[in-house]
Amino acid sequence: MNKDVSLMAHLMRRAGFGATRNELEGYLEDGYEATVDNLLDPGESGHMPDDIIRRYHVDQSELRQLDGAGAYWLYRMLTTSNPLEEKLALFWHGLFATGYAKLNQARALLNQIEMFRHYGFGSFRDLLVELSRDPAMILWLDNNENHKEAINENYGRELLELFSMGIGNYSEDDIKECAKAFTGWTLGNAEYMSVRASKDSIWPYGRIAWHYEYRADDHDGGEKKFLGKVGNFNGEDIVDIIVTQEATARFLSTRLFQYFASDEVDSDGELVISGMMEAYFQSGYKVSAVLRSLFNSDYFKSDKCMYSRVKGPVESVVGTVRLAGTYQEPTLDVHSLWAQTMFMGQGLLAPPTVEGWHEGVEWIDSGSLVERINFAAKELSDPTKDGVKDIIRRVTSNQKDLSDPEKLVDSCLDYMGPIQVQPDTREGLIEFAESQGAVQIQNGQPDENASIQVARLIGMIASTREYQLA
Amino acid sequence: MVNTNTLSIRYLKTIGIVNNGFNGRGFANPYDVAFGPDGEIFVLNRCDPARRSAIRVGVCNLAEEYLYEFGYGFGDGDGQMTLPVAMAFDAEGRLLITDEHTSRVNIYSNKGDVVSKWGVKGDSEGEFNGPAGIAVDSAGLVYVCDQRNHRIQKYTSEGKFLSQWGVRGSEPGEFNLPWGIGVDISDNVYVADWRNDRVQKFDSSGQYLETIGGSGEGSLNRPSGVSVDRNGNIYVTDWGNERLQVFDSNGKAISSMRGEATLSDWAKDFFESNQDEMETREISNLNPDIPDHLNTPYHISSQTESYFWGPVSVRIDSNNRLYVVESNRHRIQIYEIE
Repeated sequence: MNKDVSLMAHLMRRAGFGATRNELEGYLEDGYEATVDNLLDPGESGHMPDDIIRRYHVDQSELRQLDGAGAYWLYRMLTTSNPLEEKLALFWHGLFATGYAKLNQARALLNQIEMFRHYGFGSFRDLLVELSRDPAMILWLDNNENHKEAINENYGRELLELFSMGIGNYSEDDIKECAKAFTGWTLGNAEYMSVRASKDSIWPYGRIAWHYEYRADDHDGGEKKFLGKVGNFNGEDIVDIIVTQEATARFLSTRLFQYFASDEVDSDGELVISGMMEAYFQSGYKVSAVLRSLFNSDYFKSDKCMYSRVKGPVESVVGTVRLAGTYQEPTLDVHSLWAQTMFMGQGLLAPPTVEGWHEGVEWIDSGSLVERINFAAKELSDPTKDGVKDIIRRVTSNQKDLSDPEKLVDSCLDYMGPIQVQPDTREGLIEFAESQGAVQIQNGQPDENASIQVARLIGMIASTREYQLA
Repeated sequence: MVNTNTLSIRYLKTIGIVNNGFNGRGFANPYDVAFGPDGEIFVLNRCDPARRSAIRVGVCNLAEEYLYEFGYGFGDGDGQMTLPVAMAFDAEGRLLITDEHTSRVNIYSNKGDVVSKWGVKGDSEGEFNGPAGIAVDSAGLVYVCDQRNHRIQKYTSEGKFLSQWGVRGSEPGEFNLPWGIGVDISDNVYVADWRNDRVQKFDSSGQYLETIGGSGEGSLNRPSGVSVDRNGNIYVTDWGNERLQVFDSNGKAISSMRGEATLSDWAKDFFESNQDEMETREISNLNPDIPDHLNTPYHISSQTESYFWGPVSVRIDSNNRLYVVESNRHRIQIYEIE
């Protein structure tokens, strides 16, 4: 297996949703570090145009309900030319987990995701300020109930505990002072919007979208003491203090490491995280610098890092569909793809709590595993799908015969990833290939039966344990 | 209210409330209107696949009485619809409805009985790939925007193919995913050439006459629907700009409207029994200033309840009233033209 191809495939499984061989060949022309740079600073991304989506899918034009909104984001993931933009937005969505259940406002969630796209690579300071102004977050953590005369600590607490520093790095008093600084940060027409949200009201004319509003008369302008500093702090000042903390650099770097590199952090991982923290401070808190430090580290490129993460359900669905080459234009049943993410335990735009999803091996239980395998196998064992056709074409081209099942299995593994599998998995695949009989090639072309045989083998590879690892 | 030297457009009222179900008054992503002989307003509810059981035509009148509704479910069986786009009455008073998924035209009586259908998917004469807008001229001939074949087809009302014009492209007489279509009193044909951001005018044989709204003042962004009044003024639902754009008979832009919806009687009834929502609504500013990053026509309309949002069709009844159908707001804004 070619090492460069293998490394690039690894990068794209982590910084994206996997890549087809065509895509890999393009990235390989640029080289590894240039690809990292392009992923981190891609400019305007290409994807299925909004007008095309909105004309076809009325629900994705209105974005009133969760399923349509989830499908809308999936289209972006499935067709984007910059997969890291979406992968990182998905990371922020898990970290700053905001869900539909309490808000009943899908558009506000998608506006939040758009904010992640816009600010997600830049300064962590700007991102936290925008997060604090985000209407969905404000209602999700009750900051619309955080008043000058009666504070509500919910957002202040989670900002410190779950979004920036982690528990043990601040006091209960810091939480209170933080909450005071964010009084008056609310959403427009907060009273009406919160009644509508609580009743899931769509009447009379569908939902009304939300926007941020600062109410100066409801802001506590008094002196506050926060993390040892004293002043008449407003929310931005609090964020300014938070981002200078070592705990913040460690928290952010560790979470990015776990999402992009490895579920577990060992001593080698700690060294990488130290480098990421350094990049954080040197760059003025830039997320792209932290990620560049990670992707270019020897650890990230090592065998140890490869296949050390369990794919999340959304990664798994999007990666499979991208490989199959389907849903590249508006498709009637796309909302059922969103439903798949729900069945597999990661309903997009519907995290279970503010803590997000429990990741790593916790993604896998017997029910969700069956969903994953069934989905991937069905999607990839269909020889009529463009992406599957391309794999079959590559596997069979320039072959006089494919009667050697070992060669056939290795070739399929190569063009599907490459995917590395354990020896016992490979044995099982070879047995399966043998049981189908030799694949017949005539004049360099597979006949219909040969295509079906190769597609079945591709589907079988999609059912392996290794296919679920990134 | 719009006043020019020759034209006055006065807001009259709004009809509608969102209703996902097949259970009485209200609309679900309405996509088009057509007018019956006795003042009935037929409203085509496209719905969406996840709430598809409610796909139907609802019939009401200007007094906001909900008269009846009909539908035969989601699918491709007789009378069923999957992705309906537009409708028009033919010369015999039958309702023709296009369906861009099944690539056919369904025919119903004005009471909703299933009469017939025509069309199959394809790109030959008489076949469709995603039929969208539909209009009927004074001779009873039917024009259909064959969206993904980028052409206009002309039929008898029985579905007999007569002629076609247009290919994919952006030159005069060419199309890119055309959507709405209208005819004037001289049977000239106007096509909302959606992805070319213009309306094109043809004579009834398909001879190109002129382009409207292609550039300059009143230039269009993804126009969805077009209608022409008895004086030749042209009304376009400028979908991408979330507005109604009006041109005079020479194609000169004379007015641009963002909408001024008020509460329909059905909406007022809703608030009667939901006082908590009414009270908090009354202290709200429903015409807010929008932050910069959401400052696009689409986002502004999503936050400004009175504005057009997702205007997909504009039609004129025999009393010179103008109906703008808003898919995303589940309602119809009605204006009087003088």
